[in-house]
Amino acid sequence: MNKSEEQQIREALAQIGKTAPSGHDLPTPPAQAFARLQARITAEEEARLVNRLKKRFILPHKQFRYAFTSILVILFLGIAFSFPAVRAAASEFLGLFRVQKFAAISVSPDQLAILERIAEEGLTPGEFEIAREPQMQPVDSLAEAQTITGLEPVRTLSSLGTPDEIYVTTGGNGSLTIDLAGARAIVEAAGGDPMLLPERLDGAQVHVAVFPGVEQRWGDISLVQTPSPLVEYPDGLDPVPLGKALLQVLGMNEAEAERLATEIDWTSTLLLPVPQNTVSFSEVMVNGYSGVALFAPEGAAIMWQDSGMVYLLGGAVELNELLDLAGSLE
Amino acid sequence: MIATTSNDNLLLERISQGDMASFETLFHTHYDRVYGLVYRLVGNRAEAEDVTQEVFLKLYHQAFTKRRFAKQQTHNVSAWLYRVATNMAYNAIRSRKRRWQRNTVLVIDPIERKSVSEEVEKREEETAVRAALARLKPRQAQLLILRQMGFSYAECATACDIAPGSVGTLLARAAKAFAKAYQQELAQKHQSARYAQNQHPESRELEEKK
Repeated sequence: MNKSEEQQIREALAQIGKTAPSGHDLPTPPAQAFARLQARITAEEEARLVNRLKKRFILPHKQFRYAFTSILVILFLGIAFSFPAVRAAASEFLGLFRVQKFAAISVSPDQLAILERIAEEGLTPGEFEIAREPQMQPVDSLAEAQTITGLEPVRTLSSLGTPDEIYVTTGGNGSLTIDLAGARAIVEAAGGDPMLLPERLDGAQVHVAVFPGVEQRWGDISLVQTPSPLVEYPDGLDPVPLGKALLQVLGMNEAEAERLATEIDWTSTLLLPVPQNTVSFSEVMVNGYSGVALFAPEGAAIMWQDSGMVYLLGGAVELNELLDLAGSLE
Repeated sequence: MIATTSNDNLLLERISQGDMASFETLFHTHYDRVYGLVYRLVGNRAEAEDVTQEVFLKLYHQAFTKRRFAKQQTHNVSAWLYRVATNMAYNAIRSRKRRWQRNTVLVIDPIERKSVSEEVEKREEETAVRAALARLKPRQAQLLILRQMGFSYAECATACDIAPGSVGTLLARAAKAFAKAYQQELAQKHQSARYAQNQHPESRELEEKK
């Protein structure tokens, strides 16, 4: 290090020293601060216990929760970087995204660990605001489910007879206000090229709405029916570099991400990041519609879209059995 | 100055067995310094305390709920803490910027009893320094602040999880980036002042009468 560098460091440190806390800016004594922290921890633990009890006794079906939560999470994660850019006829200023197709993307355990670390360390792509959280409740019949959700019709698997359990979920909506610096920091930390995210992304708002849905359960088999989630995003963004950034975040190399980003129709394709070590996938035709099949040690699931409605059918059974069951949907 | 990694590791080992007292010791060891780092970035006591609480709440979840520290043999918890603190302080700054709030609350310090103009000037300088820090890469700002807080090169290396031999080079680079960002801040401030004077010539007349 030369003298001018040493001098520059000294000057920088002297300037930064001006921001040190003094007088009334000194912190609360550690013992008091720790007491405050303990109170928060206790409150959170109590809330978690109540939630666990609720899940255990009121909302016992894990797959149902998974279906809706995963749709929300995937949408939020995916949409944060992959705004479709084609102008929708519905609005001059806003674009609209509705799920028509699915694209499963395998994510390596190493990349998942990186993404987990990024989340743990507080990097966020912007401010999330959940205006209305979807609520779930058990109902007694399909007719009641139809009345509550307004879905017409609520479809069922005729080959399995009356469902053992039926749950409905109310709709929900939220938004994400993009913070470009945060979003770029995530892309960089995940090994992607942060400059793929354009300046105009800063402050852009994305609104996500999920609609009332129904889940039916027969033993291990579960069927979820919900209208396609709707996403509104600022118009005029080029989706390819954003999609490329998203694919790089999911661990794809530059060339692979470039190729796939140009192939995907970002106005209607829902990305499903799946953990490479536990879940495999393949494309599948379900009742004449293109969908995706997911395979895990515990069983399989198929996801498809039919006339604006998204279906998820899963259970501890083989794919062929799921396809046969889907064939009895009416 | 900072607790050694081996001391922290001993505490983490006990924490992974559910020992809250060890978590409290870890909290006491790092609380002031985490607060100091966050305060230098956000410039507001209440906000700095809130962010510091969030950082330790995250540590609690990592240690007790996710049992992250039980999975590996050695950890650099100070590096984790300062990295998370820097990220969360940056989030707070961006979130505030988004809400169009000021970078620093102009509250007169009753202890120092300075004149109003001196206090305003001091706060403006602090604001410019913080704005310059916010323009840096988080890791550069973190390194500069920790060094300013009195961390040795070895401690900076531990806290920033970098090789001890590269601290000097990285500090020099960060100081250069800071100097550039600070100059940009000053230029922007002067430009805004000129614009305000053009918009409100009466303020210039008042200044001239003085």
